[in-house]
Order: sequence, then C-alpha cells, then structure tokens
Amino acid sequence: MPSVSDTRPDRAALAARQTRFDRVVRVVKVAALLVVAVLVLSFPATAANPFILSVGVIIASYAAFAVGWNFVGGFTGYISLGHAAYSGMGGYATALLITRLEWNPWVSLVLGAVLVAVVAVPIGIASLRVRGASFVIVSIAVVLILLLVSQSWAGLTNGSNGLRVPRPFGPEVLRPEQHQRFFYLFVALIAVALLVWWLIDRSRFGMGLKAIREDEDKAQSLGVPTFAYKLVVFVVSAFFTAMAGGLYALWFGNLDPVFQFSILVGSYMVLMSLLGGIRSLFGPVLGAVIVGYALEFFKVNFGDTQFHLVALGLMLALVVLFMPDGIIPAVAAGVKRLGPQAGSIREMSAADLLEDNRRRDREAQERASRTEPATSQAEDDDTTTEREHVGGSAR
Amino acid sequence: MTATRHETQTRDVDVEPGLATVGLSKSFGGVRAVDDATVTFQHGKINALIGPNGSGKTTFFNCVTGMIRPDSGEVTYRGRPITRKSPNRIAAAGIGRSFQLCRIFPRMTVLENMLVGVKPEGLAHRLRGSRHAADIDRARELLRRVGIDHLEHAEARDISYGQQKLLELAGVLMVEPETIMLDEPAGGVNPALIGRIGTLVRELNAEGRTFVIVEHNMEMVMSLSDHVVVFDRGRPIAAGTPDEVQGDPRVLEAYLGV
Repeated sequence: MPSVSDTRPDRAALAARQTRFDRVVRVVKVAALLVVAVLVLSFPATAANPFILSVGVIIASYAAFAVGWNFVGGFTGYISLGHAAYSGMGGYATALLITRLEWNPWVSLVLGAVLVAVVAVPIGIASLRVRGASFVIVSIAVVLILLLVSQSWAGLTNGSNGLRVPRPFGPEVLRPEQHQRFFYLFVALIAVALLVWWLIDRSRFGMGLKAIREDEDKAQSLGVPTFAYKLVVFVVSAFFTAMAGGLYALWFGNLDPVFQFSILVGSYMVLMSLLGGIRSLFGPVLGAVIVGYALEFFKVNFGDTQFHLVALGLMLALVVLFMPDGIIPAVAAGVKRLGPQAGSIREMSAADLLEDNRRRDREAQERASRTEPATSQAEDDDTTTEREHVGGSAR
Repeated sequence: MTATRHETQTRDVDVEPGLATVGLSKSFGGVRAVDDATVTFQHGKINALIGPNGSGKTTFFNCVTGMIRPDSGEVTYRGRPITRKSPNRIAAAGIGRSFQLCRIFPRMTVLENMLVGVKPEGLAHRLRGSRHAADIDRARELLRRVGIDHLEHAEARDISYGQQKLLELAGVLMVEPETIMLDEPAGGVNPALIGRIGTLVRELNAEGRTFVIVEHNMEMVMSLSDHVVVFDRGRPIAAGTPDEVQGDPRVLEAYLGV
C-alpha cells in the first residue's frame, strides 16, 4: 500500500510531465492544422488538370455533407441513413427558386436551405420520437417518399428527365475556373459548419446533446429537455446539409431524383463520419477525404462494374469491426499512450485508496463521537475497500 | 418544516405538501404493476418505499418521475399536479432521481457527468461554454463530498461500480433537487459504501432535502428512514414509522407469506 510520502512527489512530477506533453501535442495539432489549411487552399492551384480539380470539388462536397450529417449523428448518436433527403431537397429548392422564380442563385441557395430547415421541423418532430433502429428506418422512409414524389411530380421537378440548373457564374467562366470557385465555396461552407459544430460542442447545449448520445433517459432525468435539443440540432443539420446540396446543384447543373434522393448518398455520409470519428470535429472531413478519394479511384479504375460499391461495403465493415470510434479517436488514444501514464487505473486506485483511508479515519471518528461501536466496522471497511480497489483495476 | 411523525399514512393539512399520488395505476399487458396507489410522502423527511420483488416499486418510481406515463391517477408535488409531465419538467420542478442499475454517462469524464446537471437559465446560458468556473467549483465540491473528486478526469466507465453509484448521486445533487428519489442506493455495493451513502443521505436530509428511497437492505431502511411505505402487488399496504411497519401483520404476510 503506497503511503502519502512516496506517492506525492511522484504525482507532482507526473503532472508536470503531463502538462509538458499536452503542450507538445497542442503545438503539433496547431502546426498540422496550418499545414492542412495551406494544402487545402492551394489545392486548386496545384491540381494537375481540370479532372483532378473536379474530383477535389466532389470530395469537398462529400465533406460538406458529412459535416452536416454529423450535427445529428455526432452529437446525439441518432444515425440517419436518409440525410440525402435534406441534401436533395436543398438541391431542388435552390434549382426551383432559380428556374421558376428567377431569383439570384446565391439568394436561392440560402433561402432554399432555410426552407428545408423549416420542412425539417415536422419531419424531426415525427422521426425523433423513436430511437435506434426505428429512427434509422424512419430516416430511410423519408428519403424514399421524397424519391417517389420527385419522380412522379414531373411538372415541378422534370422527373427523371432531370432538372437543369443554370450556371451561377454565367457562360463566360470556363469549367476549370468554375471548379476552382466551387471548391473554395465548399471549403467556406465546411469552415462555417465546423465553426458552428465547435461552438455547440463546447456549449451547455452541446453537453446536453452528448448526454443524450450516452443515455437519453438519464439526461432527461437530470433536466435536459431532450426532445427540444434533438429537434434543434436536427434542424441545424438539415440546414447545413441542404446548403451543401444546393451548392452541389449549382455546381453540377443537373438534378435527377435517383441521384438526389439516394440511400447511397446518405450511407456515404454515415460511412465517412464513422470512419473519421463522429465524436471529433474533423472526423467527418477526414472520412470524406478518404472515402471520397477511394470512391473516385474505384470508379475510374473499375468504372464499368459495381466494384466501388463492394469496396464501400468492405470499408464500412472494417471500420465497424476494428475502429468503431473512427480514425481520429483511435489516433488520439495512441498519442495519449505515448505520453506519461497519468491516466492509468492503477494510479487512480492508489489515490483512491489513500482518499478512502483518510475518509475512513474521519468517519470512524464521527462514529466514535456518536458512541456507535466503531471497531468492527472499521475492520470491515478495510477489507471492502481493498476489494473495491481490486475490482477497479480489473475493469 | 414542522412535520411530526405520523401514525399512519394521512394527508394532514398541517404538513407542508410534498410528493403525493392519488389512485395511480399502470398496467403492462395484463399485469397491473401499479394498482390504484395512493401514497403521501412526508416532505422534509427520509421516506422509504419497500416491498417484495415485483411489487411495483420501480414502476411507481418511473410513473412519478415521468419516465412512464401512468394509465390513470394523479401525482402532485407541493400542491401542484405533475402527472404526465416530461421527466425534464419534473426534474426542473425539484425532483431528482437515481436509477436502479446506476446510470451514468459512460464515455464522459466524471467532471463532464456532473456538468450535464447544470440548471440552464435561458437561451444565452445554454449557448455559452459548458465549463463555467462556478459550475466546475460546485461540481468539485460535490465530488469531494461523495469522495471521488480525485477521479474527475477519469472516464466514468473506467471507475468502479461503487464509485459510479457515488457519481450518480453527486450528479443528481448538481441539479439541486429538493426531493431526491433513490432506487436501490445500496444495491450491489459493499457495506462500507452503504455506510457512506447512508451518512450522506442523513446529512443532506439535515440540510432540508426530502428523500424517497426504494431499498431492499432492511438494516439501512430501518436505521435511516422516518417514514416507511410498504408496497405489495402494486399498492401500499402499510405506512408508518419503521417500528410500526416492522410489527404490522400485513407486512409480515407480504414478505414472508405467513
């Protein structure tokens, strides 16, 4: 049993080492972020040809979708497989406001996303009543309903013939130039979405949402208005996903219900976020870069086949099996292991034991002062504390 | 708080009204888990709810705290109806609770677990940072009080079951409830810890908090509580001081089947 005198200096030294290690980690993080930012911003200038540039835009759009999805998936743990509903509606809302009402494309983009957010309120009220697998099924149902409606209502959406969206920059801006501009627009959208995610993450609202992810009933019993919180974050998620969908519509220039309201697109968002790590800010972005690149790679090399789908399925299976928390949390855990082992259970249990000893003394004194028989109880304490200590280490 | 000990379960006007139910019922399929239960708990006291397994104590708890919607009947707290309100509303009304099998947020740190229970005051407060110094100080104070302040940075899933129980209690205290409902606080913990929890309950009660405790550990119930309500088959069959209840033939019948 460690005594006070030999644990104290150890702990102080450990704490100092931990602080130093944390500082190094923080510097490395900031440096990595700067390097990534420079790489991302210089990508259009360094891209070898317009095709590579267009792949970059696609990956950026995936990242925007995944970050939008992660407002619901990451904070509340509600896995929506049907988030294509919001990207698709965002695309159609933007396109229809431009073509039917002849509004400015950028006004249409923002107002289209606002409209989708409004529509997401009743959908959220209906679907957030159920949890787990039921929520997944409802989310799929929503996207399938929208697919059928948009296919059948050809008078509005042009159905399977596709809806053409005029180019926002006019015909004089050539393709590569357009790719470049859209790449930056997507990056800007991602940056804003990440900022909002970060702000929520550090707020009390975010703490409530994360509590919902962990144990919804428990959160509610502690006074967290779970339903209102879920609904708000669901609407925020729909808004950002719709913005990404609208931007995609402006870039791609043609909308077909089969691709807009596709379960596959929703699954991409889930896979990307899970791969990168839904609990982390940059997880969905990292996941989108990896999955997006892989998808494009398989499409280019095995384009005639459905091999890219097989690869996608394999990736999803591997992630769920070996990295259920995603890459970023796995790496973070690895980095933590490099640092001083302050967080080990053993250390805590020793401190715990110390604390227990002190308390036991105090309680024994209290008991003695209340003239209760203290001796047998104190002995009992000793053995049980030991047992608890062992139990703690075994976990 | 001038409530005196009551001979039987009554609803006297001189007692400050606390938590009470009238004709509360809840069925699951054909099973009447709670059956026309009319119970009055003594405000400001330590109340115990005992009864054989399956007598409907936990369902009663869940109906009172809004986790389950009762089929019929009323729940009132401090004279106001709280029947069928959502659990978060009931928590906001001043009733905190723990769960039978100890529920904490396993992937949050001990400190974060505590911060979930910070009472939000308006929209701006919700959107501000969750790590307010005042809240953290209060959380640490409560953790120190239950004796797990040295674990604040540990993930809640990594600490022992007994420590999780203490964390759950501290987390409930963070909401500053007037009335605390504990579902089997002594279940699955060692005797030393039972003693510690008992001491805490007594201290918190002395500070003015009302307790309603579901418990099977008779030693704890009898030594701790001022008022005992005995449940059998979904309804109260006896109520009174520990001594009265222990001698009640109906209670002996329910427990021992004599």
